[in-house]
Amino acid sequence: MTSNSASSTAYGHVCLAYDDPAALDAWAVAHLAAGLAAGEQVWLVAPGDPDSLARRLDRLPGRDDALRRRALRLLPVEHAYRHDEIVDPQKQVRAYATATTDALAAGYTGLRVFAEATALVRSVAQRDAFTRYEHLIDRWMRHHPMSAVCAYDRRELSEAAIAELACMHPETNTDVLFRLHAGGGEAVVQLAGELDPSNHRLFAAALHRADPRPVDGRLVLDATGLRFVDHRSLLHLGEHARRHDATVVLRTSRSAAARLVELLDLDEVRVEVLR
Amino acid sequence: MRTGAAAGHVGYYHEAILYDSDEHLLAVVLPFLLGGVEAGEPTVVGLGARNGELVRRALPGGAKVTFLPGGDVYARPTAAIRSYRKLLASYVADGARQIRIVGELPQAVLGATWDWWARYESAINHAYDDFPLWSMCAYDTRTTAPRVLAEVTRTHPRVAQPDGSHVPTDDYTEPPKYLTEQRLMLPDPVQRTAPTVELTDPTPAEARDAVRAAHRGQLPADGVDDLVVSVSEVVSNALRHGVPPVRVRVWSAADRIVVTVQDRGPGPTDPYAGLLPAGNGAAGGLGLWISHQSCDHVALHRDADGFTIRLTAGNPHFPV
Repeated sequence: MTSNSASSTAYGHVCLAYDDPAALDAWAVAHLAAGLAAGEQVWLVAPGDPDSLARRLDRLPGRDDALRRRALRLLPVEHAYRHDEIVDPQKQVRAYATATTDALAAGYTGLRVFAEATALVRSVAQRDAFTRYEHLIDRWMRHHPMSAVCAYDRRELSEAAIAELACMHPETNTDVLFRLHAGGGEAVVQLAGELDPSNHRLFAAALHRADPRPVDGRLVLDATGLRFVDHRSLLHLGEHARRHDATVVLRTSRSAAARLVELLDLDEVRVEVLR
Repeated sequence: MRTGAAAGHVGYYHEAILYDSDEHLLAVVLPFLLGGVEAGEPTVVGLGARNGELVRRALPGGAKVTFLPGGDVYARPTAAIRSYRKLLASYVADGARQIRIVGELPQAVLGATWDWWARYESAINHAYDDFPLWSMCAYDTRTTAPRVLAEVTRTHPRVAQPDGSHVPTDDYTEPPKYLTEQRLMLPDPVQRTAPTVELTDPTPAEARDAVRAAHRGQLPADGVDDLVVSVSEVVSNALRHGVPPVRVRVWSAADRIVVTVQDRGPGPTDPYAGLLPAGNGAAGGLGLWISHQSCDHVALHRDADGFTIRLTAGNPHFPV
């Protein structure tokens, strides 16, 4: 179901695009069952009232017991994501951070969320806010015991809208060509896939929304999972570097980017080739 | 103040030397260089090893002439334009009122890859015209093919003669016209065989995958990556600016990978496409310019059926 299972992406933040609600419920059941088996607190966040959410998990073994123990929580999407129609990224991340901490304090091994978030990303303004939120929560998940599946309905959202969301996740079942997500170690963000003329505007938007910040004038990007990058996307990285008065350090396993940067006289981008 | 034959000329004064003996070459080059030294102008020699040594021995000791290291300035025309423009800009920044350069293309590039050097010789009339440059390009008429010499006179406004005269060439053709003429490419022998793969209207990603799949270890990894960059750019240009269908053919030979990208359109309207970065660094015009610096040869072909670009990574020098 996912396009990349490398360990650096396997911290459990998945974008799932679906068009069959029954298949989605089956995914939710399997995903939440695995969480319960691993001693996690699990949440289903979806539109509807608690009863209808419970019915979607009819096939979840031990559902009622888990609900009683509060190991399973059912949250109508309106409750989990307050703040009316446009999500407030910072507040939302704080809410999940608190929930993660509370789950650990209550003896769970972590927090696992299955969220049907289509209602929160219908408009351009909603998606702009929500993609920023997706990156912030991605950073939280990369470093804390929280994981999430974010499900989006293909029948209600365009492919382009889903691509805007999917590219902010380390794992996805969509065929989005690149992904930008939280990095590990010195790398603030990690890039994977391919950046080319077909998606360089999407990349510029993703970069703007994630807005990774430099540390001591250096913004380190782990691009070892990036198979291809063209000059357009390197120019976007150069603009981002200039905006933050920093040098972008692109760590890649391919040397072509280094030659492009030299051709473009792009002093703000330094390519480090790791073989 | 400019000196010599180019005195009073504004911009680039571009000449060919069509020589048939060492004496002929020296009779043109020595006065040219010594005149530059005498006037205190940056005076540069970019000749190959043999002729460079011939000139060096003939010059008086201590003459202030710069010999460019052999190196690979003439590996690719677009890179040569880029590095010469940087050199010229640095001389002008240092106050030069005229720069004199005598150069020659290596014999190897006057064969299968001559076409892009012919485009170079034409394009530099424009590309160096914002510098007070007087240059001479030497061609040995004893060893250079007639088809090459015919293009030399069409791309050089003048020929410098051993008697000190500078004779305008009758058939000199302005670059915008020369560079957009219908021109047939010499077929690479591998093109007479069935392509390894053929795609119609592929996405750039599909075209990149096809090139990676065609690699059988005959190129260094960097060479494949650079070809992948070039093919991606050329295919996306064809999809965006060309007329469908866009056909991509890939041949995987023992010492090279050859890719052609063909569409039904007339090709780029910018005569300098590929040789100069288009539109002041705007992203859209850079693809072909990058391809010209990432491949070992780029050939363009225009005919009634459309426009074809052939990209070669590896050894492009098939027998002509």
